[in-house]
Amino acid sequence: MPERLANRLKDARTELGLTQAELAELCLVTRKTINTVENGVFVPSTMLALRLAAALNEPVERLFWLEQ
Amino acid sequence: MGDSRTAAQAEKLSARRSRMLPFLAVIYLGQQYSYFSSLDRAPAIDHLRIGAWAVMSTALLVVLITGGAFLRSAQVRATINDETSRAHRSDALGWGFVVAMVTGIALYVIRSGIVGEREAIHLIVSLGIATALFRFGFLERRAMRDA
Repeated sequence: MPERLANRLKDARTELGLTQAELAELCLVTRKTINTVENGVFVPSTMLALRLAAALNEPVERLFWLEQ
Repeated sequence: MGDSRTAAQAEKLSARRSRMLPFLAVIYLGQQYSYFSSLDRAPAIDHLRIGAWAVMSTALLVVLITGGAFLRSAQVRATINDETSRAHRSDALGWGFVVAMVTGIALYVIRSGIVGEREAIHLIVSLGIATALFRFGFLERRAMRDA
């Protein structure tokens, strides 16, 4: 069965009271990138995953994990 | 960390680009219709049309490959061409390549005297570029949905 990259980006973002646009600004990407990552449509690069983790003050492995 | 002015500008340009590209593809295909609907015309007009097509095709290809927004700052350009956009562009160029190849194969198999070599090249390039524009616009708009 193929694996997929699951994430709790939306939860972590809303816990900090950030909008998609604000998180996008912190990570130097557009809002559509945050949207597609949150929805699992787009798999981010390691660099973006680390930037997201830094912006949300979370270890990257708490934000992203592999799921069957 | 980004600044809000750059982010707002990048958002606006990104949305505008996703709306403009399919529209440009329609204009571009419309231009091809006028080219193929009157093939027997004066050489001067022919040169003009071929020149206009070559310029427009090159311009659209440059926008597809680079992402455009040349007059904006490096940071705005980098933000509009973030990794989702680069992935979308790559996917769109792949689709354009496949359609160009299929068109080329079809024209080779048909091998009729109706389509000359210049017209065949014209069709292959035009369909390839138009497909890539439509696909890029579609992917960008889908990514913005619910954002």
